[in-house]
Amino acid sequence: MPRALRRTLVNLTGLLVFVVMVFPVYWMVTTAFKPGLEITSYTPHWWPHHPTLVHFTDAIHSGYFWRDLANSLIVVGAVVLLSMVLAFLAAVALAKFRFTGRRAFIVLIIVIQMLPANALVIPLYVVLARYHQVDKLSGLVVTYMTFVLPFAIWTLRGFIIGIPKELEEAAMVDGNGRATAFVKILLPLVAPGLVATAIFAFIQAWNEFIFAYILLSDQQKQTLTIWLSGFLGTSRGTDWGAVMAGATLTAIPVIIFFLFVQSRIAFGLTAGAVRG
Amino acid sequence: MKRRMVVALCLTTVVAAAIAAVTFGATKTHTASSITVWLQVDAQSGWPKSVATANKTFEKQNPGVKVNVQYQQWNTHLQKFDATLAGGNTPDVIEMGNSEMTKYMAAGAFADLTSDKSKFPNSSTWLEGLQDSTTYDGKLMGVPYYAGSRIVIYNTDMFTEAGITAPPTSLAQFAADGKKLAAANSSDSTFSPFYVAGKDWYSALAFVYDYGGQIAKQQGDQWVGTLNTPRAIAGLTAFKNMFLALSKASKSTDEAHPFPTVPFSQGHAASFVGPGWQFGYALDPKAGNPKLKGHMGAFPMPSHIPGRYMPGFLGGSDLAIPASSQNQDLAQQWIADFTSNASMAGIVKAGNLPNTSSLLGLVKGTPGTALAESAKETWFVPTAKNWANVESSNVLRTMLTNILTGKQTVQQAATATSGQITKILNSSD
Amino acid sequence: MSSTGHAVGAAPSGPLRRHRRLERARLAEGSIPYALIAPAVVVIVAILGYPVYYLVRLSFEHYGLFQLIAHKGQWIGLKNFTSILTDGQFWHVVLRSVLFTAANVGLTLVLGTLIAFLLKELGRFMRMLVTAALVLAWSMPVVVATQLWLWMTDYQNGVVNYLFTKLHFGNFIQYDWFANTFVGFGVITSLIVWGAVPFVAITVYAGLTQVPAELLEAAALDGSGAFRRFRDITFPILKPIFVILASLSIIWDFQVFTQPFLLLQQRPDPGYWLMSIYAYEKSFGISQYGLGSAIALVMLALMLCVTFFYIRQMIRIGEVDR
Repeated sequence: MPRALRRTLVNLTGLLVFVVMVFPVYWMVTTAFKPGLEITSYTPHWWPHHPTLVHFTDAIHSGYFWRDLANSLIVVGAVVLLSMVLAFLAAVALAKFRFTGRRAFIVLIIVIQMLPANALVIPLYVVLARYHQVDKLSGLVVTYMTFVLPFAIWTLRGFIIGIPKELEEAAMVDGNGRATAFVKILLPLVAPGLVATAIFAFIQAWNEFIFAYILLSDQQKQTLTIWLSGFLGTSRGTDWGAVMAGATLTAIPVIIFFLFVQSRIAFGLTAGAVRG
Repeated sequence: MKRRMVVALCLTTVVAAAIAAVTFGATKTHTASSITVWLQVDAQSGWPKSVATANKTFEKQNPGVKVNVQYQQWNTHLQKFDATLAGGNTPDVIEMGNSEMTKYMAAGAFADLTSDKSKFPNSSTWLEGLQDSTTYDGKLMGVPYYAGSRIVIYNTDMFTEAGITAPPTSLAQFAADGKKLAAANSSDSTFSPFYVAGKDWYSALAFVYDYGGQIAKQQGDQWVGTLNTPRAIAGLTAFKNMFLALSKASKSTDEAHPFPTVPFSQGHAASFVGPGWQFGYALDPKAGNPKLKGHMGAFPMPSHIPGRYMPGFLGGSDLAIPASSQNQDLAQQWIADFTSNASMAGIVKAGNLPNTSSLLGLVKGTPGTALAESAKETWFVPTAKNWANVESSNVLRTMLTNILTGKQTVQQAATATSGQITKILNSSD
Repeated sequence: MSSTGHAVGAAPSGPLRRHRRLERARLAEGSIPYALIAPAVVVIVAILGYPVYYLVRLSFEHYGLFQLIAHKGQWIGLKNFTSILTDGQFWHVVLRSVLFTAANVGLTLVLGTLIAFLLKELGRFMRMLVTAALVLAWSMPVVVATQLWLWMTDYQNGVVNYLFTKLHFGNFIQYDWFANTFVGFGVITSLIVWGAVPFVAITVYAGLTQVPAELLEAAALDGSGAFRRFRDITFPILKPIFVILASLSIIWDFQVFTQPFLLLQQRPDPGYWLMSIYAYEKSFGISQYGLGSAIALVMLALMLCVTFFYIRQMIRIGEVDR
């Protein structure tokens, strides 16, 4: 296939994927700027004809927006940081070492992921109440960690295993000790996997609702997701404009986080190429 | 590389310490220095002033005691309540939907208020429908909060243009009026002379009660579903005919998706049936059409018997005190403050009915008059302790869809559903 | 694995001392894995230990609202389990869930992998654009995405209804997407796959970057075609990742609750009941926690059966590498 044609086809496909993935997001953001009547109109307005910021101002002034944003950031930041560290250590153990209880541990982390969250809500609440961790951000952090860890360990293990043995051995031949070989060569190679897992952990924790709702009561302690659901939960109808504005605001930190870490994927790329 | 690890570890420790500081510093203790009140978000957006005034009054009466109001959402608040019941830290006051009460009263969740009834304002004139929902086994276990009934809201211009001079006084007349409206708006293929959602069981079952039927009745200590009786079937058939003739709503979505105010405010419906607050909602700048102001009217849904009204579903909320609350006296005081005449005025203004007949005078104008009229003839769900399970199992809504789509005849659907209701209501807890 | 190399290089003064040093070294290294997994294990056990025990115990009890308030359940042995397994509806739900999971997982993995390869082929600018779209889709809260879908397929003013009609696919104005279960499940699947593809695409792409470029170049120089290169070099490296993604997708899609529940406006008709909706409607939704726990355990057993093959492979892969 001629190069130019191939290039064009590839780019067109890329464009198609872009449109399909982004359209709902586009719809959400443009709705946030449309006045009420345009939103409920029977014929869709592709672009807000009379854009307005009223939904955003309403959203920011409703409830405890800034407080809840801070709470979400604290919780999710802690969860991602702690989970990545702990999961990485455990994944290394699983991938590189043989020890009794290895299989049991693997079964444990798989089984945990198969437990339906709905079934665990109340028993978990009872346990946390006993530790006095109800209505506390720390209680939510450890709860999220419990659900993020198994997945993170499982995924990171796969990435570590996937590193070709030759690279590891080549590094050791160079005269490096095992630990140094590991950190110098393998860590950068696993970086993309760490990033993907971190993003996932971030998004899971950021958007989680049921545990946050049940465990946190005080309006000042709640997370942004609960704040957002307030627009959807009334029996007085959904204020679509505010929901979309709120959702847009809620999505921004995730995007920032991604932008921050996506450079690491590129780093992993170059490290792999250099190491050859 | 080692340095990076050290840095990472330090960061982790710092973050952990920060969380500890923030959260342990802000420890909340449950002492008599505060009471916790759970209200639904409706109060937060609908009558926040009433809440604020009640709090101020309470705090003046009890210096040093703060009121911690936490707003909940309808779909998840019971699960949260269950969690607090299991964990032992229930709120001191909780708002419950009136059809949610029976199940929890039967399970012993609430404190007995029978001997304290006189402490609450207007308790001798509480609306009967609401009071029924707060009584179980002869004991009073809740305080009526507010009620809502359903009315027909219509576009006066459309009615005039179609040649209708006065609101219909019977179902047959309404059907005839509907035909006129359809003819006058034949260019709009999505037009509904009377918009009612397929799964709107509150409106559909009103027909059953209008024809003298009921959902279930008690025989001894057993409940029997009665939708398969001739009268109930007549009611369901009347609803089916009305829907197929006059409503272009979806047969499988309910009265909240979308709210009838959406097609109405967009000009695709001449009238719809809904709770009183939807009158104001249709004029809402964000969700409705403010230009309709002054062009809207309301009337109670007419019965199939000329000159009478169809019984309207008496929705509403009650306030209860969990039995495990440590601050029962304070909780009672707060409820008394919140259901005072001044508070009720604010709640009524938002489009609701007060909890007492003595304040029905506050409900006036449009749509107030229609609302007050419709409240005179109401129906309510069977006060069985498992009723909430019937609602959450959606058997009634499924029945309506099956009838309207023709999947089952009215007879078949009613018989099947009756059997299911009997089973659910009598299952042992 | 052993590090005798170190010991020899060190400065022992006697054979016994050296022996002890070796012992200590081996012991220390033997305890390394335990030290590594300890923090994770502690957190998991501390938080989930009691709830899991509680869950198992509840499954043998009758535990409704009354018992919840009294803090005491009523022992009924295996009655919860027998009532579930003899419920005809349960088996319909299982079949439906299996088919639904297969469709969703299949679509997600295939589309995700294709997009990952596309990312590799694209130039820098397009890649950034597509990745940005993927992350935007991924970062949208599930509840919001569901509301969006509800609204885009709205009976009255859904934009998808409008588009389909304009594109002459038929008359979709006032079309009820959920009247027919097959079509309805199609809508639910599109929502779930749209939300799941980004993770798969990005993860597989991350895996693709681990494939050493020079290996591929060498193979190309040797004359291997693209498919051959994929089969011999890329796939073996990606295999663990695929197995993980498949097993995770199965676990998540089998348990999916929010999307179908909210798309059906929290009142799903029995024809739409998937496993977790069944669990909710039959138990948690009506405060029957004993029955709910039993259903959760049955779901767990089902999932273990289905993913058994993958898990065994996963464990084996790790061992082969030794």
